Amino acid sequence: MTKTTNGIEVEGTVIECLRNANFKVELQNGHVVLAHISGKVRKNHIKILPHDRVLVELSPYDLTRGRIRYRYRN
Amino acid sequence: MNSAHSAPNPPAVTRVSDTEWQAVDDGLAVGRADASQRPDGRLFVSIDAWQDTVFDRLATALLADLPAPLHTVADEGDHDTLAAWRRAGFTAARRERAYLVPTDPQATGLGTALPPEGVTILPAGLAEEGPLRALERVIHDEVEAGAGWPAIPAQVLPRPAGTLVVDPTKYAVACQGDRYVGLIRVTPPRRPRIGLIAVRAELHRRGIARALLAHALDALHRGGTATAWAEVTETDTAATALLEGVGARRAGSTLELVHR
Repeated sequence: MTKTTNGIEVEGTVIECLRNANFKVELQNGHVVLAHISGKVRKNHIKILPHDRVLVELSPYDLTRGRIRYRYRN
Repeated sequence: MNSAHSAPNPPAVTRVSDTEWQAVDDGLAVGRADASQRPDGRLFVSIDAWQDTVFDRLATALLADLPAPLHTVADEGDHDTLAAWRRAGFTAARRERAYLVPTDPQATGLGTALPPEGVTILPAGLAEEGPLRALERVIHDEVEAGAGWPAIPAQVLPRPAGTLVVDPTKYAVACQGDRYVGLIRVTPPRRPRIGLIAVRAELHRRGIARALLAHALDALHRGGTATAWAEVTETDTAATALLEGVGARRAGSTLELVHR
């Protein structure tokens, strides 16, 4: 069994931590999306803070929404 | 997640490895699940999906493929995800509060918090690895005999096969004579987090933990760090009182859920 490709993944920078575990992330192209933390990031207790560089998977149903899949070491 | 986008034909869910599941719609991964074992043997799972129906299908696959009990964690403010886990039969087992702890002695009031007579604080990096490892072992055994490690935030769980990873640069130690009696671990320097404060059981309630905290926060403050993170289990009243007593403010909470 092989894994299929992931959705659309874009790098960005966290610009604001919002309530309800959501974050505003500015993508490399300047767009700002609303993103939440992936289950794997949450499971590993990885803290996301403003100015963090992150990898965001965009929703195929709504390109203004995303999920933070990875936090880079700045 | 949004049920309004539910597809007429739900995506197929397949197990792609021992620890990974995937939901695929028209060649595109629209959901994934993951399982991993914590050092204490508990199995933790996570699910990411854009649609409720996909989440539910992945949860069904996990529950069918993995032995009970299964654990997961969710941010208490993430109502959609919590609702999805509850739909799958998971129930809350433990709440862990995150705190932002100020480091400025003027804010913490810890400027005059000295260790009790006969106790000194050894700064991070100066403890000897052997005695430090022995103290960690004693503390782990005391926790195991008391509240138990499943009731403690995940990051301080013991390593498998009885091994402990002890890096003296991360620990300040309280000493009574040449005996190590308490420790505080702060990691990492860029995003400081108080991972563990512990004192040998027979020396509780003497101000040693407070003195260790004062020492660690002062070192961070002098290094230019304004706040540190800490997580505390809701039922740990001593740790909660210690942190709230130095002006730490709550910065969210995490629920640990279990499916038995």
